[in-house]
Amino acid sequence: MTNKKMISFVLGMMCFALTIGICIQIKTVNNNNSTISQSYEESNLKAEVLKYKEKYDNLLKETEKIDEKLKEKIEKATENNSELEEANNQITQGNKIIGLSEVKGAGVIINISDSEIDANSVLNSNDLLVHDKDILNIVNELKNAGAEAISINEQRLILTTPIICGGNIININGERIGSPFTIKAIGLPETLANLSRPGGYVSTLQERKVQVSLKKSNDITIPKYTGVLNFKYLSNVK
Amino acid sequence: MKKGKITVTITIAIACFALSTIMFMQFKIVNETDITSIESMREEELREELANWKQKYKEAEEQYQEKMQRLNEYEEKEQSAEESSKMVEKELEQTNMYLGKTQVQGKGIVIKIKDTDNEGVETITAEDLLIIVDYLKLAGAEAISINEERIINMSDIVYVNNSIIYINQQRILAPYVIQAIGDETKLESTLLGNGGYVELLRNIGFDISIDRQNKIIIPKYNKEISQKYIQ
Repeated sequence: MTNKKMISFVLGMMCFALTIGICIQIKTVNNNNSTISQSYEESNLKAEVLKYKEKYDNLLKETEKIDEKLKEKIEKATENNSELEEANNQITQGNKIIGLSEVKGAGVIINISDSEIDANSVLNSNDLLVHDKDILNIVNELKNAGAEAISINEQRLILTTPIICGGNIININGERIGSPFTIKAIGLPETLANLSRPGGYVSTLQERKVQVSLKKSNDITIPKYTGVLNFKYLSNVK
Repeated sequence: MKKGKITVTITIAIACFALSTIMFMQFKIVNETDITSIESMREEELREELANWKQKYKEAEEQYQEKMQRLNEYEEKEQSAEESSKMVEKELEQTNMYLGKTQVQGKGIVIKIKDTDNEGVETITAEDLLIIVDYLKLAGAEAISINEERIINMSDIVYVNNSIIYINQQRILAPYVIQAIGDETKLESTLLGNGGYVELLRNIGFDISIDRQNKIIIPKYNKEISQKYIQ
């Protein structure tokens, strides 16, 4: 008799556990349903983002064609006029400095990437990653060393290019880039290479075990800026 | 009696099996639900990204229209040498504006930072200024100066001996006055609010004011821009 009671008790317990299990199950499944519509929404959004990106790229290509025509017009207007030719030279040279045309020259190439050391084996694993602030500091030191043109992963830095974006992904000229980073700078190679002096930012990164290398090169090509540069709020003071 | 025991054992075994199967499924689904929380975050990110690209497209379109108009102007004035030389001069003026070689004006914000007087307390470093300038660029600033030193593309902000700030090889002393021309609301909101850098500095105890102004004049970069190595 006691045995039978025991059995009913055990079975009862099990039924109870089962019911609870099923209840939770149903609840989670219900929640999951909403995520299906969410991922539908998500793919819609993704398509929309891609659409705009493509439209933007196409428009920039069109703009480039106009740039070419404008250049021709300026050439035409300035030929046979020494004064205007000088102005045209200044515009051409100015565009190189601003970043609106490709430039070549000697300089340095810096490769930086996150450390390969196991993050669990060190006290501060944050040190092993390359952050936006690191890139900002490297670029600042390059400017201090007299760099005349700089690019990060083939994206030209111009006056309006921000580097800070949050964490270890940076957004340069609309392109999201992450480690590894390749920074190219044109200038006097010997001075630029000074970044790896003791106390320089390159050695600071090395101390943090971030992978960083700096090499001089006589043949660096830095592409032109491909985004929008059109000031709306600024006017020259006469 | 023996037969009954066996039946009971089998029943319990089946029940146990069913239970563990359900538990297992449960765990799996719970795991998946964790991922969906990231996905809903992604959706928000995507919305941000979409707004970002829409804005960029709008800007690209404005630039396109502006250049198209300029091209048309050239075509109209092509015949007159005088008119077209004026166009070239205008072009050069614009190039110089982008270079930072002209004095410029526009609306924007003025940030005044008083350094703390207390000895031993943190002071404003070159990196602080560097970060503020970077955030201003992020908010679309078109011209920036710190204590009347114009920030151009290759301007550096360095800390010498961990005490003296140099901008464009020029020594800068506190209080720091940063001027930026651009959309005032954007410029201001990028520095204030949740996680804004000025907000952060204020929390440490720095006295920082931000004023919106309709007419800010920013001086030109007053040195030669180095161009010895680029070809």
